[in-house]
Amino acid sequence: MNKYIKFLLMVLMLIAIIAGIAFPIVAKPEHWYQFPVIPGLEEKARIIFFHVPSAWLSVLAFLTAMAYGIRYLKKNNLDDDAKSNAALQLGMLFSALATITGSVWAKFNWGSFWNWDPRETSIFVLLLIYGSLFALRSAIENEDKRARLSAVYSIIAFLTVPFFIFIMPRIMSGLHPGSADDNSAGPIVDFKMDFSMRVVFFISMTAFTILYYWMWRLAYKSIIIKEKLSNKLIRG
Amino acid sequence: MENLYNFLEKNSIFIVLFIVLIIWLGIYLFLWRTDKRLAKIEKELKEKENE
Repeated sequence: MNKYIKFLLMVLMLIAIIAGIAFPIVAKPEHWYQFPVIPGLEEKARIIFFHVPSAWLSVLAFLTAMAYGIRYLKKNNLDDDAKSNAALQLGMLFSALATITGSVWAKFNWGSFWNWDPRETSIFVLLLIYGSLFALRSAIENEDKRARLSAVYSIIAFLTVPFFIFIMPRIMSGLHPGSADDNSAGPIVDFKMDFSMRVVFFISMTAFTILYYWMWRLAYKSIIIKEKLSNKLIRG
Repeated sequence: MENLYNFLEKNSIFIVLFIVLIIWLGIYLFLWRTDKRLAKIEKELKEKENE
């Protein structure tokens, strides 16, 4: 990855962390460095700069896994399986992070760590779906067979992602911001954030996306190197 | 120094900020070093394949 993109990541993430944590939340923002109060969230609204990007990365990672799954089925190149596998691991990591951060936040906003809110239920089901993919992968020894099955599974599993992440939690009433009965109407990003809050939010999203790309590259490269070395050891 | 201490005691969110910044620096350095190390291993593997 280009050196300048790495520096860009450093700078963007610093901005996101400093602004996201330290910018004051006030009733009537007068300066660019002040955030507006979102009713019902107040200081706890800061989670949006870190929790939402994690959830976004899990969708992005599962999408990457599906894309490289399709590519593997087309070209039968095991490197594509490594890329798909690396994306799956990161997808699990980031959905677990989104779940844990959300759960800690829920304790202080909704009163309990787990409420079986539609969004909590949907991420739980997604974790189960993708978790079983790892069980499937570790159960098959033949590399090609494992890659093919995992590719097909990651394609089918991704079909459920838009439904579980974007549709179901929005059409059902629940506690999570953006649910159907959210009385101030509609997702927070569009209606309740002011300009500076939205800028910081998208800076954070960009920083997390670059971070994901970097981590993904490191992950799949190490998988490919490991496979190369083990092939050498076996074939001599 | 005393002023700074008093300020941080009243605005503890800045302590959280420093902690998160330090964690981010650590993660960033780790990624940077791992990237370098992997690139080196890739290069060595390629050289060995060409031999």
